[in-house]
Formats: sequence, C-alpha cells, structure tokens
Amino acid sequence: MVYDMILPAIPFIGGYLLTYSLYRLKLIRKAVHINIWNLIIGLAFLISAGAGFVLLLIMEFNVKLPISPELLYWHVELGITLALVTVFHFHTYWKSAKTMLVAAKRRRSEA
Amino acid sequence: MKKKIKSTLSREKLVPDLSREKISSTLSKENLSSVLTKIPMKQKIFAALSTIPFIALGSMSTSCATTCPYGMVNDPYPGQCPRYMDVGGDGFCDFSQTTPTTTTDTSTTDPSTSDTTTSTDDTTTSTTTDQGQGNGANAEVTPDQSTDTNTTTLPDDPGSDYGSLNGEGTNYYVLPVTLIIIGGYLFTYYLFKKGILKRNKHKRIWNLLLTVGYLGTGITGVILTFMVNLGIRTALNQSITFWHVEMAILMVVGTFIHLHINWKPFKNIFRVLFGFKFNSRRDPTKAKGTSK
Repeated sequence: MVYDMILPAIPFIGGYLLTYSLYRLKLIRKAVHINIWNLIIGLAFLISAGAGFVLLLIMEFNVKLPISPELLYWHVELGITLALVTVFHFHTYWKSAKTMLVAAKRRRSEA
Repeated sequence: MKKKIKSTLSREKLVPDLSREKISSTLSKENLSSVLTKIPMKQKIFAALSTIPFIALGSMSTSCATTCPYGMVNDPYPGQCPRYMDVGGDGFCDFSQTTPTTTTDTSTTDPSTSDTTTSTDDTTTSTTTDQGQGNGANAEVTPDQSTDTNTTTLPDDPGSDYGSLNGEGTNYYVLPVTLIIIGGYLFTYYLFKKGILKRNKHKRIWNLLLTVGYLGTGITGVILTFMVNLGIRTALNQSITFWHVEMAILMVVGTFIHLHINWKPFKNIFRVLFGFKFNSRRDPTKAKGTSK
C-alpha cells in the first residue's frame, strides 16, 4: 500500500492561503478565519485519532475486521492533514506559541 | 516496683488512658462522619483521583494475538507491527499466514532415532526437531531459506530494538500512560486552584507536553509513511511504531486537556461559525478561579 503525501496536503494549503488572504483583505473577520481552521484541525484530529484508536483496539484485542486496511489508509492520510493543519495552528497562535517556548520574563529582558 | 512506675506515669499523664470505651468513642461513626464532612468535596474528589497513577502502574498487562490485526497477508520481516512473529523461520509473519510454516528437519540418515533439541543463549534461539523420516522434504526449500531452515534467529537483544517493551514487542501502555497523564493534569490543576502554580505556568506545561506529543507522533508517523512508501524494512520499524503509539496517547489526552483549558475559544468555534448560543449565565461561585 502506497500513501499519498502531497495530494491530500494541496487542498489544505490552498484553503489556508485563501482564508488568510480573505482575512488580510478584510473580506472576512479574523475570528472566522481562525475558527474555520480550529474546526478543521478538530475534525482531522477526531478522524485520525479515532481511526488510530480503533486500530489499536483491533490489535490489542485481536479483532479482525474487513475494513482494517482502509482504516489504516485513512488514519495515515488524515494524520498527514493533521500534521499540516497543526503547522497552521502554530502560525495562527504564534504569539502564544512564542510565550510557550520562551518565557515571558526572558523575552522582556531580551527586548 | 512495677506498680510504682505505673502509678507515677499515670499521675504525670505520660501514658494516656487508652481504655476500650475511649477508643471506640473517638472512632465512633459520628466523629468520623463529622471529620469527613469537614473536608471539602473537591478535595475528596482530587484525593480519590490522585490514586489514578498508582492504579495505572498496577494495571500493565499483556495480550496475545492469533491473526494479523491489519488483515495483511504474508507480511515479510520485520513486519508491519510489533507483533511480528516467525516461529517457522520462513521470513513471513506467522499471524499474516493462514497456516504458518513450521520447519522440520526430515533429512537425517538415521531413521531409527527421534530427538528434539532446544538450545538457548544470549543472542540466538534455535529449535530443531528431528523426526528421522528421511523423505527428502528439504528438496522443496527455496534457495533463500536453504542455509538453515531449522533455525529461527531473533534480533540481538530484543529489548533495545523495541524500546521499553520488555523484549516482547507486543505491549502498548495505553491505559497506564493515559491515567498517568490525567493524574498529572489533575495534580497541576489542583496546584493552580490552590494558587501554588500560576495560570500561565499551568497552561505552559500542558501546551509544551501537547507540542511534544504532536511533534513525536508527527515525526514518527512521517518516518513510518516514508518507510512504507519506499519499502524500507528495518528492525527499527517496530520501535518507531511503538513510540508513535505512545506519543499519540500523549497527543490525544493532551488535546482533550487543551480543550479543557481553552474551553471558551472552543465554544466560540460553534458560536462564530454556526451561530450557536450558549448560556452565558454562570454560577458566581463557580466562576472564581477557573482556568477556562
């Protein structure tokens, strides 16, 4: 089984660039842009993690299902999407992410 | 002399008068219930939940499989998952085969003897079954397997290849890791509620752990995808899969914790995009000191 890595990423990269440009052009509110991508990351997480959890249960309890290979395929594809949307999430919340990585006091002293 | 000492001690009240009535009255139901009611409900819940990590540590268990969980057929070495087992030594996972191949040496010249030898040392395990049939069954063995079809060689020091799998390569510590993370969150949440830990630090700790979970799962996942796509099969596959699963547990539990910490922005998704209205009236006593 070969997994597509580029194809599932393209619509999401395009979609993010689209909503980001719409927000920058003030055609949509920032809240709409952020919440669209929060919803997408939530859905990607639910499907990918859900499929992963089902696969784990299948393996732990030794249940053989006919959909196992398909489940594995969609787990991987949605996992790639999730990884990509996580990067967008970091971009959206970059200020908070910086606070997380570098302590506020240290940043203030550096400034 | 003894009586004298006893009377002196009791006079000086050095030895408390521990009569049966006094003990039973101290430990009476009314006294205990009054002490228990003095403890706040939240503290009781946290005390009960703080035992989770200990329950988790005690609940680590093993399980065994008989068929391929991924439904694969003839999965070659080192296999798709850590359950890879090749008792027959044919180079394919036994679970992925409908009837696993067992190798039996039948080419011995002495038909009268029948002996079974099992030898084990630090690096290899070999099992030889000699039934002394002498019917030339080895003639059907493919050239790849002709070197020694009777010997099943396990990887050197399995423990190092499977991470912390105790050499078995079959365990995912789902429940223990989950409970330990939840226990950790409840602990930091308790510290935050008590004012020992600042809100920012509490958030920062769990954001960092979530990032570690996402990075670990993402990196190992991408490596595994590349390995599957390019057909790379190494002994590391199983340990990468193991760490992928363990990091995914941190990621999943961490995401739910992240949702709990950022509950208001989470509700905003539905309010902004779908126009859902949530009841904004809150109990003023509950509003005090929340992390949301």
